[in-house]
Amino acid sequence: MQLIKTRKGRISATLCLVTANLFSTTGLPQAQQIIGGTNNPQARDQSDMKNVYNQPVNELGTITLDSAILFYKENGGRVQAIEPMASFTYHTENDDIYSVKLTYDSLTGASPYGAAPWKAAQTFVSPTIIEGSETMTGASGGTIVTDALTGVTSVEKTVDAYTLPLDSGFRDNRTAIDFGFTTPLASGTKLSVGLNGSHESDYNSFAGRVSLAQDFNNKTTTVSVGVNYEHDVSKPLYGTPLPLSRMSGVMKGASRNKNVLSLIAGVTQVMTPDWVLQFNYSYGSAKGYQTDPYKIISRVNYLTGAPLEYLYESRPEKRTRHAVYVGSKLALGSYVTDLSARYYHDSWGISSFTAEASEHIPIGDRAYIEPGVRYYHQSAANFFAYYLPSDLILPQFISADSRLDSFNAITLSLSGGYSLSDDIELYAMVDGYRQTKAGQKGLLPGQDGRLKLFAGIDAISVMTGVKLKF
Amino acid sequence: MKRIIIIFSLLGLTVLLSSCAAVKPWQRDITARKSMQLNKNPNLTAANDHVYFSKEAAAGGRSFDGGGCGCN
Repeated sequence: MQLIKTRKGRISATLCLVTANLFSTTGLPQAQQIIGGTNNPQARDQSDMKNVYNQPVNELGTITLDSAILFYKENGGRVQAIEPMASFTYHTENDDIYSVKLTYDSLTGASPYGAAPWKAAQTFVSPTIIEGSETMTGASGGTIVTDALTGVTSVEKTVDAYTLPLDSGFRDNRTAIDFGFTTPLASGTKLSVGLNGSHESDYNSFAGRVSLAQDFNNKTTTVSVGVNYEHDVSKPLYGTPLPLSRMSGVMKGASRNKNVLSLIAGVTQVMTPDWVLQFNYSYGSAKGYQTDPYKIISRVNYLTGAPLEYLYESRPEKRTRHAVYVGSKLALGSYVTDLSARYYHDSWGISSFTAEASEHIPIGDRAYIEPGVRYYHQSAANFFAYYLPSDLILPQFISADSRLDSFNAITLSLSGGYSLSDDIELYAMVDGYRQTKAGQKGLLPGQDGRLKLFAGIDAISVMTGVKLKF
Repeated sequence: MKRIIIIFSLLGLTVLLSSCAAVKPWQRDITARKSMQLNKNPNLTAANDHVYFSKEAAAGGRSFDGGGCGCN
C-alpha cells in the first residue's frame, strides 16, 4: 500500500513539475511558486535518500578503470558479436581529464545479401580470397568452383527456396582506440580534444575532434560546440565492385575513401533544482564511397518475379545529415526519469524519429535498476527498392539494404548497478530489440505472400561491466 | 526540413532561456548526483549507440554522427 501511495505521489509531482515548467515559459508568477513547491522536502520520498547514486559526482584527483563486455545476438543465425571494451580515465586535481579507451569487436554469423527470396534455390557467387597458404571463402558453406574456360576460381553459395538470401559464415574483427583530453581554459570554459582510430580487415577509420563548452548563469547553463573530422578507407576483401555491375567471381577494383565532417552545438540547462534539459543540433556531411560493397539487388522478371541477375548496389557519394535532440532528466526523490527525443533527416530522403524513456529506481543503499523503452521509426531512402523489375531501365542509385528500408524498432531494456564499495561498481544491461516493417509490405511480381522481402532483425544484447576508482 | 529544425530550435531556446536563473548555486545538489548525469554509464551508452548505428540509418543528435566503422 505504501508503494502505491508513493507512486501516486510521484506521478502527481511529475505532472505538477512538467506543468509548472510549461507555465514558467509564459512567465506566469504562479508557475514559479509551483516550482518552488517541488523543493519542499516533504514532497520527496525520503526513505531511499541514502542510496549511493544520490552522492555527488566527485572525480577530481581520481583514476577510473571501466571495463565491460557486450554479447549481441540476432535471431535466425544472423550476426553475433562479442565486444569487450576498457577505458582508463585520469582526472587531475586541476580538472584536466586524460582518457584512453580500447574496444574490440568480434563478429560472426550471416548478413543479408540484399537479394530477394525466390520459390527455387538461388546461387550467389563471389571471388576467392587467398591469404598466405589458406584459401578463404570469406564465408563458410561455400563451394569453390573453377571456370573451365578462364581458369578463374570463385565461391558459390546456394540459398534455399523461400528463404531470405543470407551471406552465411560472415566474420570480422574490429579494434578501436580513442584518446581524449579535456582542460579548463578560463573560468567556466572547457576545451576537449580527441583522436580515434579503428581497424578491420576490410575497413580503416581515423578521426579527430575538438569541442568547447562554456558555463553561464552560475553553471546552470552550458553551451557547447564541437567539430569532428573522419577519414575512412573501405578495402573490401575481394575489391570494390563497380556499382550496378553483375555479381561475379572476378576480383574487383581498388579501395575507396570517405570523409565525414560533423558539427554539433548544444545547450544544457538546469531548469529547476530537480530538472536538467539538454538540447542539441548535429550536422554531418559525408563525401566519398558510401556504397556497401557486399550488397546486391535482384533484377527480376517484371511479370513473375523470377530472378534474372544480381547487381552490386549503388549509393550517392554525398550524404548530408541533420538531427535535433532533446533530453531531459527529472529527479523526484531518489528516482530519476530520463526522457529524450530525436528527429533526423538526411539528403537520401530518410527521416526518422526516436523516443526513449527510462526510470532510475534506487534499490536499498547501494544499487539501482533502470527499466527503459526506446521507439524508433525511419522512412526509406529514396533509392531503396527490394528488387529491380526487368522492364525498368537501370537507375543511377539503388539499394536493397534493409537499413535503408522503412521500419519501426522497439527496444525494451533493463540495466542496473551495484556499488560494492565507494570505489567498485558492477553494472549490467539486457536489451531486446525488434524491427518491424513500417507502411506497406513489399511484394514481388507474382504476388506470392510467402516470399518475405523485409529483412529486419530481432536481437538481444547482454552487457556486464565493472568500474574501479583509485 | 528547415522549418522543422527552426521550430525545434526556437522551441528549445525559448524553454531554456525563459526558465533560467531560478536555480541558485546552493540548489545544485540534486543535479550533481551520479544518477542525474547525462551520460551516467559511458560504456552502456557507447555499446547501444554502436548497435543502433550499425542497424539503423539515423545517426547523431546526442553526439557526433560519425561511426568509425564499416558496419554501416
